[in-house]
Amino acid sequence: MTTRAAPPTTGLAASIREVSFAYGERLALDGLTLEVPSGVVFGLLGPNGSGKSTLLSHLAGLRQPSAGEVRVLGQPPSTPLRARIGLLFQETSLDLLMTVGETLWLHGRLFGLGGRALQERIAALLESVGLAERARSPVSTLSGGMKRRLELARVLLPSPELILLDEPTTGLDPDAEAALWARLLEANRAGATVVLATNKVNEAERHCDRVALIHRGRLAAEGAPAELKAGLKRDAVWVEWPGFTPALAEELRAWKGVGRLTWAQPTLHATVDDASAFVPRLFQAAGDGIRAVRIRESTLEDAYFDIVGASLADGEGAR
Amino acid sequence: MSTAAACAALLQRDVRAVLRSRSQLYSSMLFPLMLLAILGTGVSEGLDPTLVRDGDYASFLVPGAIAMTVLFSSTFSSASYYQDRDCGLLRVLLASPHEPRVILLGKALAGVTIGGVQGLAVLAVAAAIPSIDLEWQYGPAGVVAAVAGVLLLALLLNGFAQVVAARIRTMQGFHLVMNLVLFPLLFFSGAFFPLQHLPGWLKALAYANPITYAVDILHLAVYAENSGGYIGLPADFAVLVSLALAAFLWGIGRRTGYQP
Repeated sequence: MTTRAAPPTTGLAASIREVSFAYGERLALDGLTLEVPSGVVFGLLGPNGSGKSTLLSHLAGLRQPSAGEVRVLGQPPSTPLRARIGLLFQETSLDLLMTVGETLWLHGRLFGLGGRALQERIAALLESVGLAERARSPVSTLSGGMKRRLELARVLLPSPELILLDEPTTGLDPDAEAALWARLLEANRAGATVVLATNKVNEAERHCDRVALIHRGRLAAEGAPAELKAGLKRDAVWVEWPGFTPALAEELRAWKGVGRLTWAQPTLHATVDDASAFVPRLFQAAGDGIRAVRIRESTLEDAYFDIVGASLADGEGAR
Repeated sequence: MSTAAACAALLQRDVRAVLRSRSQLYSSMLFPLMLLAILGTGVSEGLDPTLVRDGDYASFLVPGAIAMTVLFSSTFSSASYYQDRDCGLLRVLLASPHEPRVILLGKALAGVTIGGVQGLAVLAVAAAIPSIDLEWQYGPAGVVAAVAGVLLLALLLNGFAQVVAARIRTMQGFHLVMNLVLFPLLFFSGAFFPLQHLPGWLKALAYANPITYAVDILHLAVYAENSGGYIGLPADFAVLVSLALAAFLWGIGRRTGYQP
């Protein structure tokens, strides 16, 4: 797993202060405070329903907070400000009856582009995302990966300063995902700030300069992936152990090579120096009380579980 | 699960959906009743070929055919709101640097253009058919009046359709409401039978019907030899301009009824 060197920042692309928002009775953002430095790839990591998409829609000015303040590119969100923002929705948002070229042309016109400059920009972007030969094809004839690349080209068309992405690689195969990220990182190197909502740990670790862990509409922690993982041991062990008690935790913590221990019924989560030594000892201590064990290298998911006490796989992270 | 149980479950699901959609339920029951009351009465008492010029009912029908074309076209154009919503394009449009009313204005103008062009195309084709006898009593000014009448009707219908689209969640419900409202309006607008011989209650309804004024413009501009028996262009335009602008502004000023 590689991490990117943090680029120089020149201020804030976005700041969110004490922002709350509810869908009826359900609180989606609960006094969330967050700052996104300019020029970074910034990840919002949290389970489904944790408030990530709602936060993106606030940054895009599509929703107004019921409390708190949002500033984007130094201003309160507004309709004209959207000319400087690119937004990729989680769900595919394409008219299947339009052609690839028409899709980009319409978007360019809505963002004030036109004439030869627009045609040249469309041609360059289609080349860049590998769809140059499909310019006249109806969108309905594209594969899922091609549709996502077309949507990315649409986002990049007006050269936005801030790019908001809502789970951009869901459903993509590894090659399509790599191609999409290559284009995104290119835009980031050209100066665009990228804010990414995701529940994919690998994506956040590999591509994000900074990551905010979101849980139930609140900021649980924020930092570079390496900072968030500081203190984790090499291996992560997830143990399904319904009979676990806090008294046992004290005993386990005393074992050599055991780092953080977190318990959220029925799962015990531990990071340890060497899982191959820890797990057999655990079975000796627990007897037949353990139902399942999962072992892997520690990731941001472990940091999330340690900090929040819930797994990224748990949906309904919002209240 | 057996085939019968699966079919029963699907039947139950669809029946529930219809019962939940009150607009669909009421429209499907009210529409045939209105058809009987209005079209039945109109045909019984107003449709006598000797009442139209030279007994030429085909030529008399041209303005009605144009109005019906504009009506269908406007309905289908406005239904594209649902297609845009369902394919996700609407959320992209609403996330652009334009207010929702600009997006609605663009879509409404498209509807007016398509409806207007299709209506005028029907007029052009009708004018080219030798057996159709159009009088054009006002000469070139009549052509201008006909074009204006068609565009105003398209403006009125698109505005109304946009208002309905903002309130009805499903395309099926939208079409049913549009049919329920617009078809009866078309039937007693003078499009299919002259108004002057209708019973008083139906004539009163006809004069309260905005489409009547557009059909009257088209009859006067295209078909009639003189203005006898018609409302008259000044009153037609006064009413239609007011209603078309009001409906159009109402339509584009509405909330989209959709949050991206």
